[in-house]
Amino acid sequence: MKVLVAVKRVIDYNIKVRVKSDQSGVDLANVKMAMNPFCEIAVEEAVRLKEKGVADEVIVVSIGPKVAQEQIRTAMALGADRGILVETDEPLESLAIAKLLTKVVEVEQPGLVILGKQSIDADNNQTGQMLGALAGMSQGTFASEINVSENSVEVTREIDGGLQTLSLNLPAIITTDLRLNEPRYASLPNIMKAKRKPLDVKTPADFGVNVISGLKTLLVESPQERSAGVLVGSVSELVEKLKNEAKVI
Amino acid sequence: MDFSLNDIQQMMQDSAAKFIQNDYDFETRRGLSNSPAGYSEDNWKLFAELGWLALPIKEAYGGLDGDLVDTMVLQQEFGKGLLVEPYYATVLLGANLIQKQASDAQKLELLEPVVAGELKLALAHSEAQASFDVSQTKTRAEKQGDQYVLNGHKAVVLGAESADYLLVPARTSGVVGDAEGISLFLIDPKSAGVQLRGYATNDGLRAADIGLTEVTVPASSILGQADSAAPAIELVLNEAIVALGAEAVGIMEKLLAATSEYIKTRQQFDQPISRFQVLQHRLADMFMETEQAKSMVYFAAMEVAKGGSEASRVASMLKVKIGSAGRLVGQQAVQLHGGMGITDELDVGHFFKRLTCINNQLGTRDYHLQSLINKAAAG
Repeated sequence: MKVLVAVKRVIDYNIKVRVKSDQSGVDLANVKMAMNPFCEIAVEEAVRLKEKGVADEVIVVSIGPKVAQEQIRTAMALGADRGILVETDEPLESLAIAKLLTKVVEVEQPGLVILGKQSIDADNNQTGQMLGALAGMSQGTFASEINVSENSVEVTREIDGGLQTLSLNLPAIITTDLRLNEPRYASLPNIMKAKRKPLDVKTPADFGVNVISGLKTLLVESPQERSAGVLVGSVSELVEKLKNEAKVI
Repeated sequence: MDFSLNDIQQMMQDSAAKFIQNDYDFETRRGLSNSPAGYSEDNWKLFAELGWLALPIKEAYGGLDGDLVDTMVLQQEFGKGLLVEPYYATVLLGANLIQKQASDAQKLELLEPVVAGELKLALAHSEAQASFDVSQTKTRAEKQGDQYVLNGHKAVVLGAESADYLLVPARTSGVVGDAEGISLFLIDPKSAGVQLRGYATNDGLRAADIGLTEVTVPASSILGQADSAAPAIELVLNEAIVALGAEAVGIMEKLLAATSEYIKTRQQFDQPISRFQVLQHRLADMFMETEQAKSMVYFAAMEVAKGGSEASRVASMLKVKIGSAGRLVGQQAVQLHGGMGITDELDVGHFFKRLTCINNQLGTRDYHLQSLINKAAAG
């Protein structure tokens, strides 16, 4: 079985994001970029399926600028077998990505597609669901456990107030939650091997997909800074403040 | 000149940085440092799996054939976590010296287990009167038939307690001060006549003073040719200076970031203390010293690998820079953090201790400054 994993290049999660002075977006100049952490969990799960003998090939796909090859190489250093970059410098919406991924799915015919549940930059949480609809595949989102059997996959999902277990017919789409696994560190020998693994570069035009966005970002603002707390002198003062200032009781 | 890291170095740096961030926070490190062994055997196994133990070793012996720049990248990240595992002792000193001095058969026998994480080493080169200059070695090995008998004393041998073998330079001919006449012995620390007195160093690592009394070993325990080890030791120590420099730069970067963050939040006179110009100047000084040290490490990583007399001159230049920069950055970080800068619970003081110990390893700043002056005077 082939497993397709989609990965996204985002700002490294350690970086404090700054809004550009003209408020047109966030400042990406000279900022460290990395693989979206949820995508890393997706790669790890696919590699584990391969190690268990469930999957026989792990293909990693990314959509974005040429430099997104770095994230594909990272995924290959973690154990993916080959990569596909759909190269475009256009800003992409979730729908355009889902359309492109649908085309990749048509070409590769994977038994399982694993994606991160959302990216830490736009926090949309849409691509997996849209891909499910477009490709006509069943989906298990927010997965915290996966068990693949012959023709189906059992997915334990993290939902409000508990866990839900679903059985999906293969081929299926899974989006990963934080607790699905703990991604490994890339070992040096695997980093070196990754350099020699095949990486195909395509464009949206190769798939006949129009990626021009229908959205326009009007304004990006930093969140309001939290103001300093105050020390209250007594319980009655606290109650008074909660009643009259915070108006929570 | 392009100083950017290549893809492989970049990914290795990411891996190491993630390891330090996820599995090696300050409390974990403190726990390891205070444990009886002083480090984690599980981490050591992980280092083997990740290929870090194989980095500077040649492919023929199971290594990855990395160069000094690769080592620099790894050490810089290790510095940020104040790593206590004996990577420096086993890989950068021990295995590197075996690689440069031992015979092919000895390399095959010893290096593969190092790569696999099954063998640890310690280089017992320093003596009370000779912390860096190996020609000052007083420890003697007398030939008796096809055996050698060693007598002497070695000081502050890092990683000695955890080592399966000690690499002991001893004089087999000539007198103290001669460059020739030093042989390198492979000695089991459990051999009769070896007294090991282990202790924790000020920076939380483990070291030992070693007494050698009538230690009898076969002639086959000499690594490589007899009387010929000094040039290889010198080269390995120069390369180790680059590794220490990279570690120091990692520490300084960490201190700079922590201090910058802290003074933006610490309020005094109704404003963050980062608004005070005098403190901004101090931070600017810390930044400049860190950047200069980093540039010097980059330069040394490229020059020292070439070997020769220029290598030891550049290594000395680096050690001088690291000594003064480390002192300034460490002191300012502690002072700007105020009283808590010296507490045991905050990492800042521990980073400063490590910087101070780095200055004392492999010859102090003053020692190397004098050596540069002597070289300049000699023309």
